[in-house]
Amino acid sequence: MNVDAPMNASGAEQVVFWLLAAMTVFFAVFTVTRKNPVTAVMSLVGTFFSLAGIYATLSAHFLAILQVLVYAGAIMVLFIFVVMILNREEVSPVPLRFVSGFAVLAAIYLLVKFVHVADAGVPPMAPSVPETFGTVGNIGDLLFRDFLFPFEAISLLLLVAIVGGVVVSRTHQKEVDATVAAAARKEAHDRQLADYPAHDALEGGEGDEGHDAHAHGGGH
Amino acid sequence: MPTHYYLVLSFVLFLIGTGGVLMRRNALIVLMGIELQLNGGNLAMLAFSRALGDEKGHVFAFLIIALAAAEAAVGLAILVGLFRGRQTVNLDEATLMKR
Repeated sequence: MNVDAPMNASGAEQVVFWLLAAMTVFFAVFTVTRKNPVTAVMSLVGTFFSLAGIYATLSAHFLAILQVLVYAGAIMVLFIFVVMILNREEVSPVPLRFVSGFAVLAAIYLLVKFVHVADAGVPPMAPSVPETFGTVGNIGDLLFRDFLFPFEAISLLLLVAIVGGVVVSRTHQKEVDATVAAAARKEAHDRQLADYPAHDALEGGEGDEGHDAHAHGGGH
Repeated sequence: MPTHYYLVLSFVLFLIGTGGVLMRRNALIVLMGIELQLNGGNLAMLAFSRALGDEKGHVFAFLIIALAAAEAAVGLAILVGLFRGRQTVNLDEATLMKR
């Protein structure tokens, strides 16, 4: 590992980093080891807040704000809602089975890969970056010039996710109810038309143009 | 701070997330583990971005956050559907396709 990187980190910066890193790891471990899902979600919020602080130390100001808004705000509210809907505690949170063996294998593989990457040479931290590094203006500039297509693609993905979420979580009974209600509405509409047969005849007498327009409008 | 401190932190975060995904049986905690993994990846992206003085990594982190939001929405919707059908969020009991 390239330890002799230019280190001009001040004491305060180091204290902040270690504090935030310890908080991040602590809350993350807390998240995956708790039995109660509510506790897990709350410590996940803690993880995201400390990570936002870490992002800020990397002068990623925009991403730090986004982390708080999107992760600690929106995604966590979603999690809380679902936890409230299905509040079930696990009987045995961490079973020792062959999947745990997979986990150990995955950990070893990841460690080997990590050492491999670290050996290849980690770029040293740039001594200083411009004042505007990581601001909304700069990121927006990049996003709407060089990364316009990924931006549009991700908005399409979000749209698909919205529709997919609604379709997947809708109940079968509600669908049946909606179909029945639609059929009843159509029947009522047909009956109403049948009750006033003079309605069509009256409009039809006005000429072909009016009749055509009515036929088009009546299609709905 | 040197770059590799941040990389080690992101690695640890990813490992914790992987452990949560592979070892827990509660589907909610598994989804949270995936969120931790995505955040670990994001941290590495931002660390390299700062080290190289290149803001492209920030754009990728932005896209990953949007992706995580979509993933959480769809995953939780599937979870609610699973709970409606089988009254459980235990992944060991979601074995409809095994029979």
